[in-house]
Amino acid sequence: MLNTLAPGFSRAALEELSRQRSEPEWLLALRLQAWDIYERTPAPLGRRGDLGTLRAVSNFKFQDLKPFTPVEQDAVQPDFIERALQDSLLSERSGQIVQLNSGVIHTELREELKQQGVILTDLDTAVREYPELVREYFMTNCVPVATSKYTALHAAFWTGGFFLYVPRGVVIEEPILAQVWLDRPLTATFSHTLIIAEEESSVRIVEEYNSNVAGEDPSLLSDVVEVHAKREARVEFSNLQDLGQNIWNITDKNALYGQDGSVTFVTADLGSKVNLETVGAGLSGNGSAGELVGVFFTDHDQRFAIHTLSDHIGLSTNAETLVKGVLTDNSRVEFDGMIRVRPHAQQTASFLSAHGLMLSGRARGEFIPGLEIAANEVSASHGATSGQIDEEQLFYLMVRGIPRAEAERIVVQGFFEPVLQRIPLETLRIRLRRGIINRMSGASESEADTWLDAQERWEIEGVDEVAVQLGGNPNDEEIKLSEY
Amino acid sequence: MSSELIIKNLHANIEGKPILRGVDLTVRQGEIHALMGPNGSGKSTLSNVIMGNPKYEVVEGEIWFKGENILEYSPDRRARMGLFLAFQYPMSIPGVSVANFLRRALEAVREGNKPLEEGENPTGQVSKRKKTMPPGEFRKLLQEKMRLLKVDNSFINRAINDGFSGGEKKRAEILQMALLQPQIALMDETDSGLDIDALRIVSESVNALTGPNLGILLITHYQRMLNYIKPDFVHVMFDGRIVKSGGRELALELEEKGYEWLKPVDEENGVTADA
Repeated sequence: MLNTLAPGFSRAALEELSRQRSEPEWLLALRLQAWDIYERTPAPLGRRGDLGTLRAVSNFKFQDLKPFTPVEQDAVQPDFIERALQDSLLSERSGQIVQLNSGVIHTELREELKQQGVILTDLDTAVREYPELVREYFMTNCVPVATSKYTALHAAFWTGGFFLYVPRGVVIEEPILAQVWLDRPLTATFSHTLIIAEEESSVRIVEEYNSNVAGEDPSLLSDVVEVHAKREARVEFSNLQDLGQNIWNITDKNALYGQDGSVTFVTADLGSKVNLETVGAGLSGNGSAGELVGVFFTDHDQRFAIHTLSDHIGLSTNAETLVKGVLTDNSRVEFDGMIRVRPHAQQTASFLSAHGLMLSGRARGEFIPGLEIAANEVSASHGATSGQIDEEQLFYLMVRGIPRAEAERIVVQGFFEPVLQRIPLETLRIRLRRGIINRMSGASESEADTWLDAQERWEIEGVDEVAVQLGGNPNDEEIKLSEY
Repeated sequence: MSSELIIKNLHANIEGKPILRGVDLTVRQGEIHALMGPNGSGKSTLSNVIMGNPKYEVVEGEIWFKGENILEYSPDRRARMGLFLAFQYPMSIPGVSVANFLRRALEAVREGNKPLEEGENPTGQVSKRKKTMPPGEFRKLLQEKMRLLKVDNSFINRAINDGFSGGEKKRAEILQMALLQPQIALMDETDSGLDIDALRIVSESVNALTGPNLGILLITHYQRMLNYIKPDFVHVMFDGRIVKSGGRELALELEEKGYEWLKPVDEENGVTADA
């Protein structure tokens, strides 16, 4: 029988959680070990003079939260999830898995993929049915339990969770959609994603974080994403975080690479009150390649701290990190991006760029790149900037009749567009454009849609419009945004 | 009523420093005015102040357009009333295609300015509901203008002025002017940075747009553009004032004699003002 646990994290709560769920001994041992690490590890406080996000998280009242909210028996998918699914524009998908609060409520996978040996299930089931895989890969060397105080808490109290196993050589074309939903105040939700892509396999996952929690009371989403891309495996993991602004999100995402493996992370952070995010690439396999495309938009009092690490370990590895975000109102964003090239990681190529655009004089952004190079045959470059929106650009647009608010949106759109173009999944690009512009538009939402529709129309046009003869070079008829 | 731009005793500062010191000028639809004068005399400032660039502070005087004092109006509202500025240094806006930008500009200008509702901010909010133009209609119009100005089709897919050559930027400005069909256009040193062929093409483009519905204030250092675009009036600006006005022959006189002979005497100090 599963019961909601009383607020507060403790060893006793942990034992109660594990007992309720009739977990195997090894898992309880793992949880208790993680709890010990949590208790003896100090919370990271950041450095003097930073914008204080880490300190804010350390002062968060974890003890007010209920650590576990079970799924009711035969729970039906709430309406808001159904609606969100339509909004996700992912009508073509290979599978879907949905977690609501502490438990997975829905899992589906195409039959032919099951027959090829693909496994998509909740992590609880994986613990029972594939314990050897879970014991080998769960928070061992990708995001180790002791990475931080918060990963230790996650390892102690996780429930639900997603487990995806792609056997050797299996190529999954359509994305798999994973969704995490929170709908209770003052609760902690721990979602875990464990992806094992065997040699020469290929898969794309879109993971969405959403909430539907009324009121001001905070809730926590602590999530860990671990990607194991074996030799020549290709994984594309896109994360759209659109939590309500009463949710605190602590997230650690990392990938480990086999030889010639490649992983693309797309992180789009639009929501949450506080977002403490770490995204890493452990490029241990020779010839492996990592890519991170990050987009964020902050307003009100949102606080983000984003840390990235391109960790070059093997020979001839590549990494590219591109992060762009817009800050408005009183929001604050700290970005800290590190390129680390270990000894013997020769022939490394690594690139990092991070840019923040501030629309408000009260918004604060700190963008700090870092380089640690211990090999000598390396090509690495980095750049990080933040600045206010260019008044001269706005004036130029306004002199063409476009009101200021819309001119700002056009400049922001242009700022984001090159990064959006790097997002492989078109449906996600469209959603992001819409999401970002709608956040800016305030009262005049239809205006934003007009502009966006136009943008999208230009993308798909060039095939119709027989009535319009362009003359000149017929190749010019193709009107594509991707060309700039 | 034809549209008139009337500037009365206009004084404007940038960062507290006076640039315009009492400009009087009237430009009507159908007229071509050339505004000449040495560097730093305030010509570009005048065009920016007419459009409402917030960098400049108007300390005295009035700007009237279509019978309204537009000094308090936002730049976009002035544009929607039918004023246009071809920039000396057009801004590039990476990531935004010319096509999208022009479409939005055209929709905004065509919508014009709705009468203000109770309590509405008079600084030029357009109404929230927006009529969108059918894409086919927009493209047809754009193609027509591009053909008229001999602008390459590839223009419209590029980001606004991003990576454009000097000549391309100036032609893109004229294309915008052709599309938006202003009643009064300010052209700020449209000839600068153009080689002789580009100057001819741009000038021909402007001539293709002139007529009884368009008034032009052409700002230039040199007479050379006036070989192509024939002004009805020529004004010389010096130290923030228009010191001499005349007909087309004045431009030729300037070409011959330079600007020095028009340099005003500073009344306060009794010495020649340093431009």
